[in-house]
Amino acid sequence: MKIFRVESTLVATARIGGLQHHRLLVVQERGGGKQVAVDPVGCKPGDWVIACGSSAARDAAGSKEYPSDLTIVGIIDYWDEDHPGQERAASSANGETRR
Amino acid sequence: MNIQRVVSDLVATHRVGPLQEKSLRVVEDYKGGLEVALDPVGAKPGDFVITIATTAARHAAGDPAITTDLTIGGIIDHWSEQRWRD
Repeated sequence: MKIFRVESTLVATARIGGLQHHRLLVVQERGGGKQVAVDPVGCKPGDWVIACGSSAARDAAGSKEYPSDLTIVGIIDYWDEDHPGQERAASSANGETRR
Repeated sequence: MNIQRVVSDLVATHRVGPLQEKSLRVVEDYKGGLEVALDPVGAKPGDFVITIATTAARHAAGDPAITTDLTIGGIIDHWSEQRWRD
């Protein structure tokens, strides 16, 4: 799984039937380019999320037949881009919740 | 999935059986790299599209037996060259 930041929702009215009406988001990988991910979770722009690819993306989107190669599987509660992967900072540890 | 732009149609009359008679398009990424994608949607040159890769491309084509690794999944309603290249 990789870490992405949600940039915006994406509207694509003319789409293949297999994609159904699932929400699509433009996401940006840390230090990488933009991609489009299926969002079964319900993310907001600015959220840091984890997303998986390959056949796990199809399963995560709801079925083995769903045509997704990138699906969001979770929203990260706390992510500090200046100190990636570190424990929650003191400021948000004292009862303050982000979501 | 990636955001790509349709460059042109692609005609390949002599092709393997499992590719069937599906339409093909040449698509470019924001760096100008060219790829070929199967197009079940009917995208026109200049359209910004979502392309689906890996095995999901075969499901997106409507039949997992179709041998493709890149399929157009939809045409983006509103997108700009500026947002694409940022």
